[in-house]
Amino acid sequence: MSEIAPIVLNVNGAARHTTALGGDTLLTVIRDQLLLTGAKRGCNQGVCGACTVLVDGRPVRACLSLAGDCQDRRIETIEGLGDRPVMRALQQAFVAAAAFQCGFCTPGMLVAAFALLADSRLPSEADVRRALSGNLCRCTGYKKIVEAVLRAAHALADEAVA
Amino acid sequence: MASNPALFQSPTLTEALDLLAAIPGARPLSGGASLVAMMNAGLVEPAALVSLTRIPELRGIRVTADGGVIIGAATRHNEIAADPRLCGTAAVLPHAAAQIAGMAVRNMGTIGGAIAHADPGLDFPPALAAAGAVVELASAAARRRVPIREFFVDWYATVLTPGEIVIAVHLPKPKPGVGLYLKHARVSGDFAIVSVAVSLARDGEAHVAVGGCGPVPLASAEADGIVSSDLSASALAHAGDLLTALANPVDDVRATADYRRLLIPRMLARALNDCMAASRSVA
Repeated sequence: MSEIAPIVLNVNGAARHTTALGGDTLLTVIRDQLLLTGAKRGCNQGVCGACTVLVDGRPVRACLSLAGDCQDRRIETIEGLGDRPVMRALQQAFVAAAAFQCGFCTPGMLVAAFALLADSRLPSEADVRRALSGNLCRCTGYKKIVEAVLRAAHALADEAVA
Repeated sequence: MASNPALFQSPTLTEALDLLAAIPGARPLSGGASLVAMMNAGLVEPAALVSLTRIPELRGIRVTADGGVIIGAATRHNEIAADPRLCGTAAVLPHAAAQIAGMAVRNMGTIGGAIAHADPGLDFPPALAAAGAVVELASAAARRRVPIREFFVDWYATVLTPGEIVIAVHLPKPKPGVGLYLKHARVSGDFAIVSVAVSLARDGEAHVAVGGCGPVPLASAEADGIVSSDLSASALAHAGDLLTALANPVDDVRATADYRRLLIPRMLARALNDCMAASRSVA
């Protein structure tokens, strides 16, 4: 009978000790205790995608994950991905394509797009739309975001060839 | 916020079932896609949470000696969407799984959690009804199996009793043929306004079910009998009328009840015609 306490999380490559309680979500803990505020609390219902993080390399909803259930898993937030070539290409492409206005959805969009490009280097537009279908943007519209992800994919492919 | 529930991580099914029996108000937690969302919304306040995610026997898909397929309750939607063994008439299941919510939710949500939650807009209930699934349940006291068409009893209600959980979904051996899940939703990944699930075997045997149009998936042996013997436009219309008569939809933010009733026969015909076209292209 193993009730969990205290909760230790592997976040962005480092063991982080927390005082999380059993019902605390991963989003609450990374934002309020670890002060990693890149992942946003939008709907808190798993609908908007603003809280998307990677767990064991796969995008999940931090707002629907319990911190205690993520122990021994590899958690990566937007803050931990900035030095990766795929994320750098995405950041540059988002700037070049002007793929944001308020920026609230951007971290979730970038994490979801990162997972896509880490898996498949030259996705079609349909692939991009499918991969981002769980991430809502309320101001830019999706056209420029999809354009940015495709632009990043092509930049990475060109780099690989060069 | 209400008191924060204790979280238990059980390494074995026996321990999880004992905890659920011992702690009044304890809830089993699988992927979290439904339960944590309801906790965040203040709709449920579990006394304790018993996590099922580290119990090996609840994970994964395996094929039995007789060709049947067993899907562990904690198998995630994306694993089901990508499993090539769910083929032929069983392909209705991965086709439905691939249309659930978005990528991140499919990486979390589990089939056992989805059907235990029994939201009538979910994609697995009609897909499992078309696939002829049997649900395996377990409590500290007993195990039992319930055909999927008897598993759902009302809005958000199943035959599960307190302390009892879904441990697996059993599918009959897939037959050569096609399985298809046709979903009509306002936007990609939303709950279905209406959905139609079809398993059509090459030998003609067909099973159909409709989602989003009442507390439980709509299915009937009579409708299955019709589409198993005759796929003409008039037969499809007749089967569509039978299923529409079973419907008990609501007006909600997504659509009116009348609109849902209107869609049932049209989507049934389209789904079966798509299946026939797919069979021809395979043959």
